[in-house]
Amino acid sequence: MSNNNLFLPVGFPRAPLANGVGRWICQLQRLTFKFCKNYPSSRGMREFLEFELLDFTKKNPGIVVYVKPRRHRAPNLTAEYLNGEKQIVDCRNFSYEEVKKWVSLLRSQSGRGTVRLLKMWHTDHPSIQGPWSPFVNRDPKLNWVEFPNEDLSQPIYIEKSATEKLIEIFEEQQRIERQPKQE
Amino acid sequence: MSIYKRAQQWTTFTRVWHLFDAKWQNPFESAKIIQKYLAGLHKPIYGPSADTGDHVVVINSKEIALPGDEWQKRVYFHHTGFAGGASWTFAWELHEKDPTLVLKKAIYNSMKGNLYRHTKMERLHIYPDANVPQEILENVTNQIRRPRLIPKRLDEYSEEEVEKFPKLIDYPEDYVIQKIK
Amino acid sequence: MSALRLVIQSTICGTNVLRCHEIFTARGIKRWVAPTLKELERRRKKLGPQPPPLRSSFVEWNYKAEWYSFGKRLHEEFNEHTLQRAFTHRSYIVKEEESQKEAGIENPELNLEDNQKLIVEGTNFMKKYIRNYVSLLLPKFPEEGIRAVCNYLLEDKMLAFISENIGTKDLILSSDVPPEEETLASTLKAVVGALIESSGEEKAGLFVRDFVVTQLVEKDVNDIWHPEDPFTTLTDIMRRDGREIPEPRLINETGRNTILSTYEVGVYSDKQFLGSGSGETIEVAKQLAAHNALRRLFKTTENMLPFSFKMNPYGEHVKPSIEHCSISEWKSKNVNC
Repeated sequence: MSNNNLFLPVGFPRAPLANGVGRWICQLQRLTFKFCKNYPSSRGMREFLEFELLDFTKKNPGIVVYVKPRRHRAPNLTAEYLNGEKQIVDCRNFSYEEVKKWVSLLRSQSGRGTVRLLKMWHTDHPSIQGPWSPFVNRDPKLNWVEFPNEDLSQPIYIEKSATEKLIEIFEEQQRIERQPKQE
Repeated sequence: MSIYKRAQQWTTFTRVWHLFDAKWQNPFESAKIIQKYLAGLHKPIYGPSADTGDHVVVINSKEIALPGDEWQKRVYFHHTGFAGGASWTFAWELHEKDPTLVLKKAIYNSMKGNLYRHTKMERLHIYPDANVPQEILENVTNQIRRPRLIPKRLDEYSEEEVEKFPKLIDYPEDYVIQKIK
Repeated sequence: MSALRLVIQSTICGTNVLRCHEIFTARGIKRWVAPTLKELERRRKKLGPQPPPLRSSFVEWNYKAEWYSFGKRLHEEFNEHTLQRAFTHRSYIVKEEESQKEAGIENPELNLEDNQKLIVEGTNFMKKYIRNYVSLLLPKFPEEGIRAVCNYLLEDKMLAFISENIGTKDLILSSDVPPEEETLASTLKAVVGALIESSGEEKAGLFVRDFVVTQLVEKDVNDIWHPEDPFTTLTDIMRRDGREIPEPRLINETGRNTILSTYEVGVYSDKQFLGSGSGETIEVAKQLAAHNALRRLFKTTENMLPFSFKMNPYGEHVKPSIEHCSISEWKSKNVNC
């Protein structure tokens, strides 16, 4: 409708570099875990690093993981994508489950960022038979006609009038009378 | 855009010229049909703001047929804006003055009163009889069918048709048809 | 941790984290914050535009981890040493040697090998493979068209785009920072070369197919190349085929005397339909009709089957390479051009 809310840009669903057509690549390049070793706001992240991190790295060898312990700082997840985009998630006071969910979200995103989708689909071949034009399904007999033409002016559907029905009944009668009587 | 895409766009959105013969037709019925062609509603690519309307050339508007006693009863109101400027014109009077106006007003009033109306009306070309300028007739490539059949007058029936027609009753043989003086 | 130090660090890094309790008080922002920020901004402007910092200059960077992940991300097994070589450009070695000489070291010894040989290997392989694959995708396309499509795929612009989106940008060692189009493109070729050395030609072929050839998925081949004078070309082809010369006929038209007129022209050879096209004037429509006819002959119409990116020319069923005729010798039978 309008682009007044420019904090949320608009776009169509697209895959970066035809991802998936050939092989699928995880778009997340680097993940940096910044946390404090003893401040309570980093507790969730510390728990994640203790229990989940090694499994995560084994499952995703294509993502480089950096762990940055920094004292007296709020915990922080920095995701860098293949297209150069950077996303920072502030994890202050997150629970272990929340950190896990955010990590899995960052892993599955394409680096495009949040975009309001105008259409939920995309296709490179919108039409197989070709786009419509006024010449599609046009009767070529019209090319031979001199306008105005009386036959082309007639209505397509003409209801049978009562007179015509009567004439039909009459002719049917005549036909039956004319038939030789079979005895 | 490549040349083919440009040409395809041009072709899909061309404006077509249609012809409509208004002889013996009800202008209000015809208006419903014609305004659809002017709006572009007959096309699958229609969009209200996409300006997909076509041209319509109407001929024989002098010979339109209003239903019932509308010729005598239908009145067109006009006010000049000045005091005492109200006028009421009968349909037959208006038709005498300008034989295209009854049909034109019928089409105009059958459209929604939005800003597209004047653009659509500019694409309507009405002629009172079959004399259309050659340049415009050359543009026409399609004919719109009439909504009604033109009724056949009694004197248009040929003698054979009259004889062949089934008779329900007939005058007795010795009946004398008297001429009215 | 001092509030001022926080301010300075945040302005250098570009982040906007001014939440320290020493800056914000119950009465608002401290008096010294605004003047400090203004001074820092003034000094930054005086320096002029600076290039963005190299990712490898950050504290959180590990070359070995990055190289390992690069290979794993692309689902490929690389020989570590070969991959390192692939990212090292000649210009970087030259620059390093020069800077070492400036520092006073007389015989600079860098244990680095550049990627020249890998680039050459990669380029030759890519040219051959892409030519082969495109030829399989478009069996009836003339030679000029195939060449144009291959050149389109092997352009520096295209390869640089692919290279950037694979993640080579941060790993490249070269004198130009940030890396230019040419450097990115040659890095991709070097990576292909490294892959040939590490995993073999078949794997390298699949890599080229999945990253370079798939860029054709959204492209119409006729946008990349089309014959210049379609009607003359079509006439020549018909003659060579032994068929009647094409005859253009008007099929449809609208609004002849208006500026928005459209004409549809069909091209026929001995009453057999070849193709149709429509345009603003009869001449344009005629050329488009001829072009449409050529597209039908080359089997590159709008509704052609989408390209298959699952073929493996190095696999089990290796098809013999197809010979493509030049447009000046093209025949429908396409045998012995």
